[in-house]
Amino acid sequence: MKKAFLNRYHSEIPLKEEKSNLFLEVSTAVSVFLFSIVLAAYFMMTSMVSSWNKSIIDGLTVQIMPSSEALTADEELLRLNKVISFFDERDGVEKVRVISNEQIKHIMSPWLGENANIENLPIPKLLDVKLKNGKTFDYQKVSSELKEVASYASIDNHGIWLQKLMKSAAALKMLSLFVLAVVLSALAFSLFYAVQTSLRVHQNIIEILHIMGATDNYVAKQYAKRGLWTGFISSVIGTILGFGVLIMISHLSSGLETGLIGSAKLSLWHWGTIALLPPMTAVLSMILSFLSVKQTLGKMM
Amino acid sequence: MEAHKNMLTEPIIDMYNVCIRYGKDPDVLKDIKLTLQKGSFHFLTGKSGAGKTSLLSMMYLALKPSAGTVMIFGSNIGYASRDAMAALRRRIGVVFQDFRLLEHLSAYDNVAIPLRIRGMGENEIKKRVKELLSWVELDKSMDKICSTLSGGEKQRVAIARAVINRPEILLADEPTGNVDNDIAVKLMKLFIELNKLGTTVVIATHSKELIAEYNYPQIHLENKGLKIIPALRRAQ
Repeated sequence: MKKAFLNRYHSEIPLKEEKSNLFLEVSTAVSVFLFSIVLAAYFMMTSMVSSWNKSIIDGLTVQIMPSSEALTADEELLRLNKVISFFDERDGVEKVRVISNEQIKHIMSPWLGENANIENLPIPKLLDVKLKNGKTFDYQKVSSELKEVASYASIDNHGIWLQKLMKSAAALKMLSLFVLAVVLSALAFSLFYAVQTSLRVHQNIIEILHIMGATDNYVAKQYAKRGLWTGFISSVIGTILGFGVLIMISHLSSGLETGLIGSAKLSLWHWGTIALLPPMTAVLSMILSFLSVKQTLGKMM
Repeated sequence: MEAHKNMLTEPIIDMYNVCIRYGKDPDVLKDIKLTLQKGSFHFLTGKSGAGKTSLLSMMYLALKPSAGTVMIFGSNIGYASRDAMAALRRRIGVVFQDFRLLEHLSAYDNVAIPLRIRGMGENEIKKRVKELLSWVELDKSMDKICSTLSGGEKQRVAIARAVINRPEILLADEPTGNVDNDIAVKLMKLFIELNKLGTTVVIATHSKELIAEYNYPQIHLENKGLKIIPALRRAQ
């Protein structure tokens, strides 16, 4: 029974003995290794951006610097209201809230102590601007418009800085997608080249099979089977190497203790996706081999 | 016998004004007209270079005519799709002069190829291949890799591979050239038996002894043309 099963997948074309197999295996393993690293980088950047985005998407903090001149309470209130109105009138703002002295005192307590009298200190007033769900600002634009209305107020530059970083990260994400496409194309090209070489080497055998009535599908299936196994075994090796490097990077970066990079972690879902590379490569390799053979045989006898 | 006679009125290969030319070289065969009836048996004769192999190549659908029309099993091969051509080829058995075996495979696997192409089950393949290889006295060599077989053994493997599918047309290029006389007689008996079962047989040969002994009609190629030399008497 077992022998019958094995014979069913018998191949007349000696593909296992081909010298080009090593080239195909190495190029597939290297491609999958690079792919796994770049894919992980893409995932890390996505989670970093998402974490940064989350920190600024909910709202922003506005500082109203104390005046260098002595102002009356009404004048202070006028300054404050001018900034509140600026944000209230903007589309996408849900709520503007003045952060109370008590809250500021609490925030400052690690530096000033619990009993500090902040009323006598030149501490800026803070506004918490909450944005509507899904709304975001062009921080640089809003910041410069605010300067025109109230030069003494400024948006907390943490958000602006993060947004600049996010733009760079988005560009890097695009770049990583491009690299993934390049790696994939290189893999497809090497597979196509290996199949073409093999078809030339075994042209005589393929002609005999054709004379005996083999269809192009019959021949292409033998290459597809080779593609499936070579793709799977090589990509398992590439993925294991990739996992090794990623675990090392993850271990090294855990010692950095930086808030920004700390958010660049791979979730279980990300690891799972990378682990799916071998079966996906195997199927891709099988399909590409099959189509490549079919396309070439169409021009033969 | 009556059934066999009826078959002989059913054309299986029809060629009209066929020319064969390779590239820009002059015609190898010109203006060929040939009709072979189902169940007929012919020798294909002619000097070396007369075009025997070219004509056979066209019959086993490895070559398309440069001009003219070839109908095989009623299909015009000029218009047949690749899959249709493959289906037609499965009905034809071919024995090549140079055997064209897959040298890296065993005798068993070579003979099994046409059945695997048809998608037959391995148990049935095993039964048929073993039976046929025993018949051509290769039962002890069936697991040997073909590259290790002698010329005569290779020829018997090639013949077994050609007939395993019980083809409707059997084309053989010098099939008895490399075997001893006893085996040659046995192989000719096999061809005759297949012919009695309805297989159309064309055997290309230089052997005057073979032609004289079996005395079937000849398709004789000469001066790029073709003529049919009728049999003088029926083979016993």
